[in-house]
Amino acid sequence: MRKQGRFKISYNWTWTLASAVLALALWQISVTMFQLPPYVLPKPSAVWTALIAGLTASPSSRSSFWFQLADTLEGTLYGFLIAAALGISLAALMSEYRVVRRLLFPYVVWLQSLPKIAIAPLFVIWFGYATLSKVAMATTITLFPVLLNSLEGFAVVERDRLQLMKSLDASRWQTFWMIKLPSAMPFIFAGLNLGIVYALLGTLLAEFLGSQRGIGVVITQLESVSDTAGIFAILVVLAVVSYLLIAFMRALQQHFVFWSGSEQTVDVDVTPPRKRRRGRSGS
Amino acid sequence: MLTAVNERREAKNNSVARDPAVALLRTIDLTKSYITRSGDSLFALKATSLALEDGEFVSVVGPSGCGKSTLMMLIAGIIPRSEGEIIYRGHAVTRAQRGMGVVFQSPVLLPWSTVMENVLLPIRVLGGDRAAATARAEQLLSTVGLQGFEHKYPSELSGGMQQRVSIARSLIHDPGLLLMDEPFGALDALTRERMSLELQNIWLANRKTVFFITHSILEAVFLSDRVLVMSARPGCIIREFRIPFVRPRDFDLSTTKEFGAYVGEIRHLLGAKVDA
Repeated sequence: MRKQGRFKISYNWTWTLASAVLALALWQISVTMFQLPPYVLPKPSAVWTALIAGLTASPSSRSSFWFQLADTLEGTLYGFLIAAALGISLAALMSEYRVVRRLLFPYVVWLQSLPKIAIAPLFVIWFGYATLSKVAMATTITLFPVLLNSLEGFAVVERDRLQLMKSLDASRWQTFWMIKLPSAMPFIFAGLNLGIVYALLGTLLAEFLGSQRGIGVVITQLESVSDTAGIFAILVVLAVVSYLLIAFMRALQQHFVFWSGSEQTVDVDVTPPRKRRRGRSGS
Repeated sequence: MLTAVNERREAKNNSVARDPAVALLRTIDLTKSYITRSGDSLFALKATSLALEDGEFVSVVGPSGCGKSTLMMLIAGIIPRSEGEIIYRGHAVTRAQRGMGVVFQSPVLLPWSTVMENVLLPIRVLGGDRAAATARAEQLLSTVGLQGFEHKYPSELSGGMQQRVSIARSLIHDPGLLLMDEPFGALDALTRERMSLELQNIWLANRKTVFFITHSILEAVFLSDRVLVMSARPGCIIREFRIPFVRPRDFDLSTTKEFGAYVGEIRHLLGAKVDA
């Protein structure tokens, strides 16, 4: 059931395009009119040139965006996968065993309120300037949204479904695999959708602090030479990449949670509406 | 394989028949109490003793909150009892029995599973021959009028159809005792009547023992061999009615004087209790 009075957050391509053209025009005009120096605000055309240069450079050269992006994505995906596996498993154990829940919950509360960014320098000391450091950072900040959403999902499983399993004298893990895990899927995906963006964030952060390769490294290098147009070009690339990551997660969600029309989750849908899959009626 | 199970049950039935003291299910002083926040005991069900004979259709009627659902949950092994005993097929039991099937007030179907997968859920949990179970599921679905809906998802079905799926699910593992907790409570009046007739047909075809919780006196009298009347706070059985009408019964029966007399007496009994 769609909530009444809630406006739909979605967009159509015509308006998106119109809006982009308008913004670019205003940008170009204001740079020319106010004669802003290029290190403050470059012209859109300069950004475009930098973007093309970065994208067309030989993929094996360090000036290629692809070359750097591959490294960043490696950290992001490993971090995400580890955090997802760890987050869902820990949430499962915490929801199934009271001892585990009681032992771990203080840490969850503590670490969740700690600004994880502050741990980053420690990871550089422990894991050095390589991929491991990025993966550690991405995992750390991705873990909590996944863990907390999964916990919530396991906690709110409909009592009727549990009673049904009880009436069949089902074992703890039968109930978990057949009822609790699928019931929690909308929540788990809410966590994973946040998580994929967090993983990218964590990786970039590790790259800012010290790394040999990656998009974050390129940004710091461009910053040191005040190449603002280059930074803008990188931002465009990052926007596209994170959009694609989110869209991929959405597609996965549509596939696995096609049945959930009414379950309340906590994230906001910013991807374009997509054809609903089988079995999702509006009732 | 199912025939073998049936034969074994039949053999058991005969022994039950020979010894009238052994019912299919008996409860002895079954009690469920809760400790309230202020430390008092609150009785949801107090010292309830009853017996279900094999093949019997027994209904329980009572006002809301009288503990009739609690009674069913206790028998089903879904919630733990506080005191008393449950004896099923001559053995004291403390947890859910695979010989029982449960139908809840809401259908409790899994929205991510098809109708067929939902009906087969008990087999997945309890184990058993999947191919034979699938054939049996198809047969049960056609009995409840849902042939051709095997691969639909629950969200594509109406409330009445969903409840029929849940009845098919409750019968898939061939339970000897069917526990139903206001199974038609969420349905509209017309669907409800039709479901009552269908339940009668299913019961006539299988002769399972049915323990049927309802707040509809009419439904109880129409369907049952015996109607147990419960009072509220503390919940306990205050009277029992034997309903003698021959089967199959139809709704013309409900307009007869004799039928009306049972309904009237039970209503009066409940009304008096509510006023007290």
